[in-house]
Amino acid sequence: MSYLLGTILFAALIGVLDAKLPWPKPQKGGE
Amino acid sequence: MVTGHFGLAAAVKSVERPVPLWALMLATVWLDVIFVPLYLAGVERIDNVPGTNGGYGDGIIHADYTHSLLGALVIAAATGLLCTRWWGRRCGAVIGAVVFSHWLLDLVVHHTDMPLLPGNLGDLPRLGLGLWRYHAVTAAIEALLVLVGAALYWRAAQQAGGPARRVNLVTALIVGCGALTLALDIAGI
Repeated sequence: MSYLLGTILFAALIGVLDAKLPWPKPQKGGE
Repeated sequence: MVTGHFGLAAAVKSVERPVPLWALMLATVWLDVIFVPLYLAGVERIDNVPGTNGGYGDGIIHADYTHSLLGALVIAAATGLLCTRWWGRRCGAVIGAVVFSHWLLDLVVHHTDMPLLPGNLGDLPRLGLGLWRYHAVTAAIEALLVLVGAALYWRAAQQAGGPARRVNLVTALIVGCGALTLALDIAGI
């Protein structure tokens, strides 16, 4: 169970770092 | 399976680039996240496979609500709809699909413990292809999923024009976290 919770924290770290990359933004309203 | 799900999320990011990676990472284990409070409340539980100490792949998981087919579909649809409000239909659909992908990957590895209906209503036959019987094979597939996902992510992030240093850092974290998670999982922690 602890590895799952730890992994979520890691995922948050990866997510924060990834969010600074120049990915295209989501198109609200769909496409 | 935990690690393999993160590999899949990284692979999805390489194709569905507008969807935030953190959301994909969370979506891919969302059923397990919801499982945690239900487990702590005693609603869902894990038993050891008879004759084992319940280590890697040796759990019979009675997640009869979160990991039932209908339960997973409902959770996936609800999560996708919620995300549609924030990020649009396309991202919402992707998030919903990634949430449900958890059930499909688990189906491959689980012992026959996954019910069709929440609470195993009707006492219908449970599903699970049981790849967990072969620990080394399952662990190898999980590692492969992470490596392939990280490679696809790295290529997509490069194409998106990300600074090489940050792209390499995030990719290394995906691989490193995957390795650590898999190691802890195998150690039964």
